Formats: sequence, structure tokens, C-alpha cells
Amino acid sequence: MRGSRPLALALLVLAVIFALAAVFYFTTKTSFLASGPPAIHVKHAIVFTVLTLLAVVAANFARPKSIQA
Amino acid sequence: MLSAGLILFLAALQGVTELFPVSSLGHAVVVPPLIGLNFRETSPAFVPVLAILHLGTAAALLFLYRRDWARIIVGFFRAAVRGRVSDPDERLAIMLIVGTVPTGIIGFLLQDPLKSLFGDPRAASVFLIVNGGILFAAEMFRRRDERRRAQVSAQVLAHEEDDPAYERVEGLSLRTTVIVGVFQAGALLPGISRSGITMAAGLVAGLRHEEAARFSFLLATPIILAAGLLEVPTLGSDAPTLLVAIAAAVVAGLVAYASARFLLRYLRLGRLDPFAYYCAALGAAGLVFIH
Repeated sequence: MRGSRPLALALLVLAVIFALAAVFYFTTKTSFLASGPPAIHVKHAIVFTVLTLLAVVAANFARPKSIQA
Repeated sequence: MLSAGLILFLAALQGVTELFPVSSLGHAVVVPPLIGLNFRETSPAFVPVLAILHLGTAAALLFLYRRDWARIIVGFFRAAVRGRVSDPDERLAIMLIVGTVPTGIIGFLLQDPLKSLFGDPRAASVFLIVNGGILFAAEMFRRRDERRRAQVSAQVLAHEEDDPAYERVEGLSLRTTVIVGVFQAGALLPGISRSGITMAAGLVAGLRHEEAARFSFLLATPIILAAGLLEVPTLGSDAPTLLVAIAAAVVAGLVAYASARFLLRYLRLGRLDPFAYYCAALGAAGLVFIH
């Protein structure tokens, strides 16, 4: 599969957004995208951490690769 | 807190129904009121129990496919570092991730509205009937496909599944895997079976029955494991005692392991129709007897 630099960049941007969301949920009491009163949502933070890692892996797949002889 | 006897009963029920294509959640919602048990899936005491049962079931699946998982995990890291897929193990690892992410995201975003359905046995009964319809439709589609292939090749096989045109999991395309992953999200509804919907999708995509079950079990493992692990931080005063928790996880795991082995053996020659009839019958019983 040929790589796509714009797609790889988009996935990296997505990874950064997911990472920020993970930090947000680890550190801030909130009820955003969660039920109940404001609290630290560890479950949300873990899910966004996993999504960050997957987006980085997907970006690595999407980047153009040099052709080896 | 739930009694130890009820927790062990739920563990055995979960072990059987999680991997059979009959919806464990549907059973947990419909069976207790049907047999007169004073228990509700919406009870806060059930969440920690469910997490423990999920961990037991996930452990059984990891053990059942331990060699596959060892290859899949190594394959994932190899492919992730290289940014390229170059062997069947790496391909299977990427397929499982691609198939799991849609369900994970949909389930995570919709978990609260879906939980409101857990307290409605009549809704779960309707979904059980729908689940039976899905299994039956998949088998009908497969039979038609087998007849068409037999007419074209005019070759008599001992069993239709011996037809080399029916594939192994590794032969599925990534696009098909994404579609199966999205369909798997339907299993968030109580009464729709995760293994049922993924086996049905696998059959329609051209997998052999046994391979459809293998695909379903491999795909289910990360979701079941995550469902258990993610609830661990929320375990509080409602959690059962350590001894009961361990016993429940072991019962759920052992029963799930035996169920998976039975199903894999059965599907070498059998079909999903009996499960379709069973789901339809249980759903109908729920609608008639639960008010």
C-alpha cells in the first residue's frame, strides 16, 4: 500500500487531541461525555490513552515509506 | 450485595451464554424475572459482579487461543513498529484492532442510554427474537451460497465446509472486518448476541462455520477483557468478598471454556439454526410471561 503524508499528519493530529483528552480526564473533575456529578474519570482517561496509541500506530502505517531494494 | 449462590448462578449463566450466540446480557435481563429470581441487571451491586465474570470469561478465551494470541501480540508490535503488514499473524492483529475499535467507541459513547434498556425484560425479549432472526438469515444465506457453488462446480463434497472457497479468518479483507466491527456494536443491546452477530457476519463474508466462531471469539476477547478491566477501578463497597469473586471468575471461566470447546466442535458439522430457534423461543416466552 502506498503511503499518504496528509493522512499520516491527520492521524498524528488526532493522536495529539486524544492525548490531550486523556490528560484532561486524568487531571480534571468533569462530567463532559460522562454521567453523574463532576469527577475524575479514570475509565475515560484510559480509553483516550489507548486511542492515542492506536492513532500513532495508524499514522505510522499511513506514512509514505522508502522503497527498499 | 448479591448472595454468593446468586453470584455463582450468574457466573454459570454468563459462562454459557457469553460465547454461545444467544446473548449473555439478554439472558441476564430475561431469565431472572422468568424464573422468579429477585434480581435486576440495573442493580448497582451487579456491576462489580459483571466485571469479575467478564475477567473470568476473557481468561478462558485467552487460554483457549493462547498460541494464537502470543503470535497476534508479537505480530502487532512487529507491524506497529515497521508500519507495514507482512505476514498472516500481523494481518490478523491489525484486523482484530480494526474490528474492535468501532464497537469500543460506540459502546463507550452510548453506554448510558443503553443501560436504560437493561431494566426492560420485554425489550430484551424482542431483541432476542431479532437475534434469532439474524442467525437464521445468516444460515439461509449460507445455504443458498452452498447450493449455488455446488451447481457451478458440480463437485460432491463430504461436507460443504470442505469447499476450499470458504475461507479462514486470515483471508478476510480489512473492509469486511470494519463492517463486522460496526455490526458487533449491535450486541450492546440486551438480547443481541455479540458472538451471534459476528459469527453471522463471518458466515455471510464467506468464512467456514468453525472459522466464523474462531473469528468471533478472537474479536470478542479484547472487548470482554476491556469491559472487565475498565470496571475494576470502580469496584467499591458493592463488590463481593474476595473468595466469592474468585469462585465466580473461576466458574465463569471454566464454563466459558467448556462452552467454547463444545461450540467449536459442534460447528465442524453443525449450523446456527438451533440457537436461532432457541433465541426466538426464549424471547417469545419473555414477551408472554413477563409483565
